[in-house]
Amino acid sequence: MYDIKPLEEEWKRYKKKKRKPWYLFIFSILIIAALAFSFLNYKDVIFSKFENNESVVVEKPKPSVILLDKALTTLEVKKEIIEKSIIKKSTNDNNVVIETNNASKIDDPMRYKHPNAKKVSITVTEAIKKPVIVEKPRKKMHLDIIETTSASAYRDVAKRFADTSDIDDSLFLARTYYEKGNNKKAIYWALQTNKVDSNIEESWLIFAKAKARSGHKNEAMRILSSYIKRSNSVEAKALLKKLKK
Amino acid sequence: MKSRYEAAKNVFIDSIDIDDYIELNSSVAAYKQLEHSIDKPLKMILLFGRPGTGKSILLNRITEKLKHQKEIHYFDTPATNEKEFFHKLFKVLTKKDLPKNTEVNFSALVDFCKNLRGKREIVILLDEAQMYSPEIMEKIRLLSDTRVVKFIVSLHKTEDEDLIAKEHFQSRIWEVVELRNATQDDQAMYIHKKLLKKNLFEVANSIKDKDMKLIHTFTKGNFRECNKLLFTIFEICEYYDKNEPSKIKYENISRKIIEMSAIKLGYIDV
Repeated sequence: MYDIKPLEEEWKRYKKKKRKPWYLFIFSILIIAALAFSFLNYKDVIFSKFENNESVVVEKPKPSVILLDKALTTLEVKKEIIEKSIIKKSTNDNNVVIETNNASKIDDPMRYKHPNAKKVSITVTEAIKKPVIVEKPRKKMHLDIIETTSASAYRDVAKRFADTSDIDDSLFLARTYYEKGNNKKAIYWALQTNKVDSNIEESWLIFAKAKARSGHKNEAMRILSSYIKRSNSVEAKALLKKLKK
Repeated sequence: MKSRYEAAKNVFIDSIDIDDYIELNSSVAAYKQLEHSIDKPLKMILLFGRPGTGKSILLNRITEKLKHQKEIHYFDTPATNEKEFFHKLFKVLTKKDLPKNTEVNFSALVDFCKNLRGKREIVILLDEAQMYSPEIMEKIRLLSDTRVVKFIVSLHKTEDEDLIAKEHFQSRIWEVVELRNATQDDQAMYIHKKLLKKNLFEVANSIKDKDMKLIHTFTKGNFRECNKLLFTIFEICEYYDKNEPSKIKYENISRKIIEMSAIKLGYIDV
């Protein structure tokens, strides 16, 4: 065979011709992928703008409206923390906080029973927001969620807990769901808290109270008894006594 | 030094040599059908199929197999004219050469055949029958009517030849044996058996299933095309083996070489 070289050349041409549609296909796929990517980015920008606008609209009109909110329990905690930090600093902000907090409102037990309590919490939060940012930025995030008190906010807290295992988040959810009357979720979040730190008394109490309220009084008492044995907690004893009646 | 591919190349030189006959499932079935038809009291049998489906080698094989049992004659090359054909036929029937400067009287030949009825039964295999003129074919029919001479007519299956078959054989042919192109499995077996017959075991093993598939795609299961392609493949392998051994792997035949062969034979239009 003497024509091998021209044959090889012909074969190369044939291969080139055969691969051409594949190159075009891959090229068009890349183009489509690039377009899709840029479209998604563009979409994100639009949505983020929209979300920012929405948060402004939702947050601003609320502060002055109504006073009482279930979520205020958490806010009280925040307030105490904030007050401590303010006292430490001995600034004039302390006065502002005391005045705006209006202690009688916060301590008023009636507040827990009122369904529209969240508006007060927003007022309080806004008043003390700046010092919180300076001292404890993570706490500030927590307060932001309480402000919204929407279902998606709870989901966000749950998601954050999944990432960080922060017992403040799980305890907040347990407490909130208990107060809302959702025993099942309260039990779940109390358990989650307990998994991270079994020495949080509140998680034991919420768990027992939610169990009792959902009809499992014996189990609640058993749980409390076991907790009392290891902690000798006065509050747990009181709750056990109350459940036994 | 002699390349291993040289022997492999020579295996695929196209021939109808009986030694090159490869028994495949399809060819065994056709052989049995033809053998069975010959035993029947038929006047004419048509062996039908596209070029390269193995008609000639089948006729050759059946001649070799039955030549000791029957009076069987294989006309592999068609006679160019009527005179030549009847000279051949005269020799077969009378077992004598036609005297010089004489011609065969057809009606006398028919009478001669009629006189042989019950005494002899002659089978004549006519290859490439599409090359016979309609006049010769008509005389063949008249001879077959004597029931002394049985003709097995091998025809190419093309549109024109279909017409011939219709015009000259349709009313006279009593049985048709059709040969088809090989399936991929049959063709792979054909290639392997051919190589193994010459003890080229390593070369046979170097042709993988995917190569067989590609070869079948190019040749469409036609044995003649398959022989041509394999011959070219091993010719290229031989060249590389002798001149550029780095371009060849002994454990398998590269797709490149198969495609180059297909380009050379015109299966691929670059």
